[in-house]
Amino acid sequence: MRVAIKIHWFDWINRQEAFVFILLLIAILFLGLTTTTFLTQNNIQDISRNFAWIAIPAFGESLVIIIGGIDLSVGAVMALSGLVTAMALRFGVSIPMAIISGLAAGSLIGWVNGALVGRVRFPPFIVTLGTASIVRGIIFGLAGGWPILGLPSGFRDLGQADILLGQFSLPVSILITLLLAVLVDTLLSVTVLGRYIYTLGDSEQALIVTGVGLPRIKAIVYTLCGTLTAAGGILMTARLGVAAPTAATGYELDIIAAVIIGGTSLFGGVGSILGVLLGAAFMQVVQNGLVLLGIPAYWQSAAIGSMIFFALILDLWRQNRNIL
Amino acid sequence: MKIRHTLMLVFLFSLAACQTAPGQPSTMNDSTAPVRRKITIAWIPKGLNNPVFEVGRLGAIQKAAELSAAGPIDVEILYAGSVDSDGAEQARVIDDAVARGVNAIAISCDDPTACIDPINRAVSAGIPVMTWDSDSPQSKRFTYLGLDNIQAGQAAAYLLVQAMGTEGKVAILTGVPGADNLETRITGFREGLAAYPNIHIIATVVTNDDINLGVQAVEDTMQAHPDIKGWYFAGMWPLFADRGSMPLWEDAALHHGMKTIAFDALPVELGLLRDGYLSGLLDQKNWFWGYETVQIVYDHIINKKDFPAFVNLGYNVITKNNVDAMLQAWNTNDFSKPLPPP
Repeated sequence: MRVAIKIHWFDWINRQEAFVFILLLIAILFLGLTTTTFLTQNNIQDISRNFAWIAIPAFGESLVIIIGGIDLSVGAVMALSGLVTAMALRFGVSIPMAIISGLAAGSLIGWVNGALVGRVRFPPFIVTLGTASIVRGIIFGLAGGWPILGLPSGFRDLGQADILLGQFSLPVSILITLLLAVLVDTLLSVTVLGRYIYTLGDSEQALIVTGVGLPRIKAIVYTLCGTLTAAGGILMTARLGVAAPTAATGYELDIIAAVIIGGTSLFGGVGSILGVLLGAAFMQVVQNGLVLLGIPAYWQSAAIGSMIFFALILDLWRQNRNIL
Repeated sequence: MKIRHTLMLVFLFSLAACQTAPGQPSTMNDSTAPVRRKITIAWIPKGLNNPVFEVGRLGAIQKAAELSAAGPIDVEILYAGSVDSDGAEQARVIDDAVARGVNAIAISCDDPTACIDPINRAVSAGIPVMTWDSDSPQSKRFTYLGLDNIQAGQAAAYLLVQAMGTEGKVAILTGVPGADNLETRITGFREGLAAYPNIHIIATVVTNDDINLGVQAVEDTMQAHPDIKGWYFAGMWPLFADRGSMPLWEDAALHHGMKTIAFDALPVELGLLRDGYLSGLLDQKNWFWGYETVQIVYDHIINKKDFPAFVNLGYNVITKNNVDAMLQAWNTNDFSKPLPPP
């Protein structure tokens, strides 16, 4: 009986979604009790609005990490897609077409990453670092160093408007995030592609034996990552009403952190969209909480860094336990 | 054999004659009259990622055109920089400018310490170097043109007190923690407020030079302290975001008497000032970063003029009283006219 309970406990801990969920609840409870402003509707809306453009690219990044890769170009792709969309809008293109052009820009970069990793067999770390640098250069070339302002209100509503649901109003961006979460989760859990993605992360050799074309799977996964990242970048641009060449600089760390905190293993083969969603929410709550608690700004990045470190140690511990 | 040696010597002397010592104006087309000499000044910002440097570049190009039109020497600006603000990358940019054989370098140092060696290497190669905006005081640069950030921070405090009164909660917004110019601006601001014991600085939040993080930091702080009476933005990061992206800050500014003083005076900020969101701006004279540095470099290498270690460029105070004049300067791209008093 005692053994059974022990196994059950370890299984529960092993589900990092549950672990992050508990952490998230503790953080919410603590901040709700220690501050008077955390649980106000304004603040909850603010948090949910802001975490959308970390969560959506993190869905894409989690797919890449599950197949054993990494995409360091996500910050640059967010900026590029926002800029392409804003430029299209300034040229008088309709809002849907402008969004499609932004998504296409992200997909294209993702496909280039996937082709280089899958077909040419370059290490993903080097490839995506290279494309990040190229994309930033293109952005500065296109924008000439200046942000693009004056975007139409219909577009800005995507990031700024709320939808009334009874007494509550929910930001449009959080609804888009939830919709995409359901779609990507369905892709992972129901489709053949989803099965291939997990198998590829678990054992590349096993997939080769079945005769599935690895380069094609990798190209699809990196392209999906590029498209989802672009969606995050476009939402952020809509929220701020400005497309800046410097936008999302360094966001790759936050995005990868949300993925890892949510239980996706850096070793590949393990991860879920629910975990990523919780990981992104936890990070946003902590960031918001640090300001509400009045923690000096100079310490805040140390706190976020420690969180990432903790998640990595937990991942390593789980891996070692599984091996043993 | 002798003929071969003679030809080689002639060739080498010809090459030497074509070379110009670094830091000296080059002479071209010496076989034809009249001779136009040319100097090339490498104008290096911290990074290409900040639009205020674009404004400075325009000033540099304007002064170069004026000097070229007025004098016997053509002045050419080489605008070079790393995409991001990065000390190591900037060192490479300086070395590249030296290798290219420019006549002088004017640079805004990303990292005062990382700048020392590359600046000293350039000076050893005979290329005079000056700094602007952000100094490297321990290097062998011949002068620094910039702002007294302590003084400007004190001026910001004075403007805020004028706008909000002598009591209430105040918050500070900064960029990357530890950046020398921002820290000194904050020190000056704190010194300026020290005389007002009923004004309490309740938070200092950071943007990491990112618009989105700036917006989040301001809104989170407004959430935590709805009764805040004043903001000091040591840079303009969140103000790039369009109206509607900081609803709490905007509402407090328009309807609850909250006041904000910010650095820089780009058109987007001038619009916010005119519409009542901001109470005052401290214009760092970005255009003059370029305009004045080119003049100083020219005077130094052509007229052999010496300069003190620090040349104070000063700042413009922009309020509702002179905001239209500043907007006019932007519209006409002519910043040379003095502004009306604030």
